[in-house]
Amino acid sequence: MVRSALSSQRRIGGGPTLVAGAVPAISVVLASFLAALPIVSTSGWYPDFGYVALIAWRLLRAEPWPAWWAAPLGLVNDLFTGYPIGFSVALWSATMLVLDLIDRRTMWRDYWTEWGLAAVLIAIDEWLQWRIAGLVGAAPPIIRIVPPLVISIAIFPLIAWIISRIDARRLGR
Amino acid sequence: MATARHGWSRRAQYGLFFSLLGVIAGMVIGLVLLTMSLVAPQSFASIRGAALDVTGPVAGALNEVSATATGLVSGAGDYWDAVNQNGQLKRERRAMLQRMIEAKAILQENQQLKATLELRQRSPETIATGRIVGSSFSSARRFAILSAGSGDGVRVGMPVRSAEGLVGRIIDSGRLASRVLLVSDSASIVPARLLRGGIPVIAQGRGDGTIDVRPLEVGRNPFKRGDIIITSGTGGLYPPLIPVARVVKLDDDGAVAIPLADPSTISFAIVEAPFEPAAIAAEKTVANADAP
Repeated sequence: MVRSALSSQRRIGGGPTLVAGAVPAISVVLASFLAALPIVSTSGWYPDFGYVALIAWRLLRAEPWPAWWAAPLGLVNDLFTGYPIGFSVALWSATMLVLDLIDRRTMWRDYWTEWGLAAVLIAIDEWLQWRIAGLVGAAPPIIRIVPPLVISIAIFPLIAWIISRIDARRLGR
Repeated sequence: MATARHGWSRRAQYGLFFSLLGVIAGMVIGLVLLTMSLVAPQSFASIRGAALDVTGPVAGALNEVSATATGLVSGAGDYWDAVNQNGQLKRERRAMLQRMIEAKAILQENQQLKATLELRQRSPETIATGRIVGSSFSSARRFAILSAGSGDGVRVGMPVRSAEGLVGRIIDSGRLASRVLLVSDSASIVPARLLRGGIPVIAQGRGDGTIDVRPLEVGRNPFKRGDIIITSGTGGLYPPLIPVARVVKLDDDGAVAIPLADPSTISFAIVEAPFEPAAIAAEKTVANADAP
C-alpha cells in the first residue's frame, strides 16, 4: 500500500500539458458553446451545460482558474445561450464565492455531498431564470421548470466524470 | 481564494484578498449588466448580434450534417415502401388536381370581388430566407436562431414564417444570423382568429412548445379539437391569414394548441416585411418590453 502510493504512476515524458492552466476555462467555454448545436428544442429541457461544467470543475479543484475568471466565462455563456447579458456573470461569480465559503465550513465531503450541492446550485440557477423570465412578463407556470431541473441534476454525475477525465489528461496522469 | 485560511506570508494574504475583491467586482458588474439588459434590452444589441454571428454559421454547418444523416435514414425508408406510396401519391394527385382547379376559380372570383370593392392589400414582401439552425436550450424562454441576418436585410421586429405556418418574429439580429422569438414563447402574443367561423382569439405561447388560445369575447368556449388558428392581421405586425396552430386540448375558457410550423422540422423560414410599416414604430416599444 505504502509502496504503491510512493511509486509514481507517471510515464516518462508525461506530466502536465503546456496549456494545463487554461484547460478548465476552455472546457467551460466549449460546454457553453454546446448551445450552438443544431438541435431545436421546443420544450427547453436541455441542461445549462456551461453552469454544470463550472460547478463540476469547482467541486473537483479548489482553484481551477483564478476566481475572477468566473465573470468573463459567464459573459461568454450569456452570449452563446441568449440569456439576458449579466445573468451568468453575476450567478457564476456568486457561485465561486459560495462554494469557497462552503469549502471553509465542511470538514469532509463525498460524492453524495457534491451531488447534493450541485443539485441545490442548479435549482437556484433554474429558479432565477424563471424569475427573470417573469420580470419581462414571460414566465411559464413554475411547475414547468421541474423537468429540466430533474434532467440537469441527473446529468451532473456524467459531466463531473467527463470533467475528471479531462483533468487527469491535462495533468498527464 | 480569500476566504481560505492564510499563513503568515503578507504577499499571499494580499493575493487572496485581491482575488476576493475580483470575484465581488465580477458579481457587481454582472448585476449591473443584468439590470441594464432587463431595463433597456436594446443596449447590448450589437454585442449580442456579434455573438450570433459566431454561433450561427457553426450551427448552420452542423445542421447540414444532421440534415443529411436524417435524410439518408428517411430516404432509405421511402424505398422500402415505394409501390404502396406510388399508388397513394397518384390517388392524392388526382384529388389535388381537382381541388386546385376549384381553388383557381375561387381565386379569380375573389380577385374580381376585391376589384369591385377596391380593397387595397399589400402583397407580403419577402426580405430573406434562412434555415432555423438552433434554439435556446435551457431557459424558460423559447428562441430559435435563424441563418439570415442584417446583411440580408433582416431587422428587429420582422415576422418570420415558413410554408407550414407562422414561426415568430425577430428580436436580435447579427450580420449573418438572427434570433427569433418563437410563437410558443410566453412573451409572444399573436392576434388571431379561428379559421372556422372567424371568431377573434388571442394566441399566447406557454413556453413549452405549445400555445394557449383564448377567445376575445368571454362566453361559450368556441374551440373544438382540430381547429386551425390563423393570424388576423390586427396590430399590423403579422400579415393576415397565416396558419398559426392547431387545437389539441380544451380547457375551461380556452384551448391548448400546437404550432403548425414546428421549428425543429421546418427546413426554411421566410422573413417578411411587417404587414403595416407603421407597426414597426409600435413594435420598437413592444420589443423593449419583451426582448431578453
